[in-house]
Amino acid sequence: MNRTKKILLALLIVFIAIQFIQPAHNKAVQVLPTDFAKVFVVPNNVQSVLQNACYDCHSNNTNYPWYSNIQPMAWIMARHIKNGKDKLNFSDFGSYTSRRQISKLKGIANQIKDDEMPISSYKMMHKNARLSKEQKDLIMDWMSRTADSLSVNN
Amino acid sequence: MKNILIGIAIAATTLAACNNGNNKNTDATQKAASKDTSMTTQPSAMHDTTATQTAAAFPAKEIIAGYLQLKNALAKDNGKDAAAAGNTIATTLVKVDMKSLSEAQMKNYMDIAGDLKENAEHIGANADKLEHQREHFIMLSKDMADLIKTFGNGGQTLYKDFCPMANDGKGAIWISEVKEIQNPYLGSKMPDCGSVKETIK
Repeated sequence: MNRTKKILLALLIVFIAIQFIQPAHNKAVQVLPTDFAKVFVVPNNVQSVLQNACYDCHSNNTNYPWYSNIQPMAWIMARHIKNGKDKLNFSDFGSYTSRRQISKLKGIANQIKDDEMPISSYKMMHKNARLSKEQKDLIMDWMSRTADSLSVNN
Repeated sequence: MKNILIGIAIAATTLAACNNGNNKNTDATQKAASKDTSMTTQPSAMHDTTATQTAAAFPAKEIIAGYLQLKNALAKDNGKDAAAAGNTIATTLVKVDMKSLSEAQMKNYMDIAGDLKENAEHIGANADKLEHQREHFIMLSKDMADLIKTFGNGGQTLYKDFCPMANDGKGAIWISEVKEIQNPYLGSKMPDCGSVKETIK
């Protein structure tokens, strides 16, 4: 056995070993009363875009693809989901103060407008997350209007 | 040979397990450690100053100073300075001693601070995206105006300005230390767009 073979074999073993260490999945059993769809009256077409393009990282329910069970993908995804939920969690939207809700709604519209979200690595793997111009307009418009209506109420 | 490989595998597993897991544990240890130092050893010089500052009063002046720095950077189209100022605001907010606040102040502060800090951090993280910083500055300025309502102007006359063209034509406010208009939303494109709506004395 030469040196390269040894290294390759070692890497293979490490690869196999890490397969046994899987992070916990982001799968909630119940829908919280603070869920976005319970706090606002969300039209179906808006909800379906959010579901397809945002909820994997910004809610308590991720729709896991097949490769999510292969390490180190699972770790990378777990980190993305944690960061995503820290910034914005649709499942817990009702727990934010109204000031923060307004901020978040405007932030969502801005992120879509500036093409910052969904992130490109996510779009690469998820066709549904590549939003058309109409879908973007729909989301931006609905988010801004909802933010404005909250601002008036306060 | 076999032994080496098994060794590597075990090492990898342990490493990964550590990496994967117990943030809670480390957190707890760190907390315990910091508690320990504060009780047994002398507080450091830096520790000392923060304590006296916050105990004396809410650092309204520092937060406002950070905000004005940010506002002036945006008026000059300088995203890098704006980011630095955003980070300054965020760090100042972390140092606020909640125990020094009255109950009413606390309620307002909790509402405002979370949003203010998030917007400030976002501006801090986007030095190369001036327009994006300005979007967050709209919300941050609103937070700032409300913070000043609760905690005062830090002993300095301030002006609440309004530009009808900002925020995609919906208009937005900002706070300034000078009466003359220096527009942080449009910068050099239209530096004097807007008017003073209120003087905060």
